[in-house]
Amino acid sequence: MSAPPRPRLAALAIAVGLVLADSSIVVLALPEIYRELDTGVAGVTWVLISFNLVLALAAVPAAHIARRAGPGRTAAIGLAVFAGAGLACGLATELSTLIAARCVQALGGAAAVTAVLELLPATVGSERRAAAVWAAAGATGAALGPAVGGLLTELISWQSIFLVQAPIAIAAGVPVFAVARHEAATGVIAGELRETGRPHWLANLALAMISAAIAAALFLLVLLLIEGWRLTPIGAAIVVSVMPIAALLGNRLGPAAGSARARAAAGAVLVSGGLGGLALLPKAEVALTLPPQLLVGIGLSLVLSALTETALAGKAPQAIHGGWTISARHAGVAIGLVALTPLFTTDIAEQRRDAVDASTAVVLDSSVRPLLKLELSQRISDRLEGERGRVPTLGPAFEPLPDDPEDRVEVLQLRSELQDQLDRGATHAFSPSFGLGAAIGLLALIPIGLARRVDL
Amino acid sequence: MSADARGRFLVIAAVVVSLALTGTYLAAGGASYTPAQTQSPCDPRPWRDPETLEEIAEQFSFSALDGAACQLGVSRETLARALATPQSRERFTRRHGIGDAELARAIRAGLLRAVDDAERAGALSPLVAAPLRAGLRRIPLDQAIELINNTRSLLDSAESLLGPAQGLLEQFLP
Repeated sequence: MSAPPRPRLAALAIAVGLVLADSSIVVLALPEIYRELDTGVAGVTWVLISFNLVLALAAVPAAHIARRAGPGRTAAIGLAVFAGAGLACGLATELSTLIAARCVQALGGAAAVTAVLELLPATVGSERRAAAVWAAAGATGAALGPAVGGLLTELISWQSIFLVQAPIAIAAGVPVFAVARHEAATGVIAGELRETGRPHWLANLALAMISAAIAAALFLLVLLLIEGWRLTPIGAAIVVSVMPIAALLGNRLGPAAGSARARAAAGAVLVSGGLGGLALLPKAEVALTLPPQLLVGIGLSLVLSALTETALAGKAPQAIHGGWTISARHAGVAIGLVALTPLFTTDIAEQRRDAVDASTAVVLDSSVRPLLKLELSQRISDRLEGERGRVPTLGPAFEPLPDDPEDRVEVLQLRSELQDQLDRGATHAFSPSFGLGAAIGLLALIPIGLARRVDL
Repeated sequence: MSADARGRFLVIAAVVVSLALTGTYLAAGGASYTPAQTQSPCDPRPWRDPETLEEIAEQFSFSALDGAACQLGVSRETLARALATPQSRERFTRRHGIGDAELARAIRAGLLRAVDDAERAGALSPLVAAPLRAGLRRIPLDQAIELINNTRSLLDSAESLLGPAQGLLEQFLP
């Protein structure tokens, strides 16, 4: 009936990781997508929001379907739908088509992820271990997603992010198809039909809040690096890899570090502290994003594993309660993005105006010769127009540098002051949104604190 | 160490590390890393020591920009960008709902303020300032519009406006 346990375990873990990576894999591709599909930041965020929203809404119903129709069959259909919709995403030429395909992809993903949780106990021997493998696979996928997406966008194209998923989903589905065939042939389903208990509301609420804060960290940091500081997708991918690496370090702390409540509280504090650091960046330097990312990465591994563990502890069936955690996490991401998008798009527009004003003042007040200043102003203005709202790279506007050594020194000084003003504007534009993310992370301490008194 | 003690240590460590990071960034100027604030165009701006006619023309243009921007209720920087090209000027007048005549009146007021500023700064002798002021008061609106078409023409025009008085200027410049 089934593949040997080890390859089967790997295939099931990859299926979960692949689907949950999809909630964040396009983050680094968003700037490319919105330029190519001729839309704005607010429009393109729906490529992320739609997937997370549908996944949140579909996870629990999908888990119920898996229990009734059979987890093998449900997972197989889910992976096939996920792969097919991924191809449609990769071939989309309009934003609306891409968003529609992402919704279908999330439906398939919800079915696959929740059904896999029902299949895992038979592979790993216990529900507790199954839940741990499932949570770890999901967290690893979500953490690695942005870096993989950035690499694919830079090396191939944003479309490749979706196109490569289809063969991986099919390959991961091979052992699942075997279970589905067995179910079809025997009429026996792997899961046992039991009464479902009440979901752990407080743990799920905390999961939603923390996920909203983490969405802020990842999405905003990527936009800051690519749109604000003009890094390439591959450069940004390398920078944001600090978060998953830190998350792996955090995973090593494990249950030995303390109770689930203590790990959840410490994780929420670290996520908020990291976001607070990003809100207070004292300079536009990539190195300064590393300590906050370390805190967010370690914090997210602590808090997500502790809360998922709490939400699933003593709950049966696992697929339904796993469905609730998926629902809570992705609803949190969607709500976080919906709440933050208008805030940071307004801030970006406002800061851009301030930065352009400050830059104009720098040019007007500089000691460059007046006629040379006029010529430079025209070239800088052309660069600003050419970038259509993005923060421009000003270097070319100053080329060729004047021959006169005195003029050259003054022009270089002007270039550096101008770049500083633009960097200040770009960096500060994200501060209120990071600050809001930090506040949401701290608010998650309320359900974490209450959870102890209620039923932990 | 008991599980409870380990848990307490973990939470305290998280709080300390988070406060240390945000405190360090705050102390390093994280709260004030914002674009520089621009000066109100209605506030007087000190004249630098102009050495050449080109620099006098520049200071004169900037004073005129300040005066016109103050009159229109926008920043000097916004007006400078608006006057860079006919297209940017059109965008500016459309966005702020002002006509060419109003813009020209503001520019004329700005030019008069520039003469006042130059005189006050001692960069222009009253002997030159008085006829210049009289000339600017009579400047037709279309010429004022032409004058503001772009910054280069503003500078060129200011220079040509001062050109006939160059001999006098050289004589009376401090």
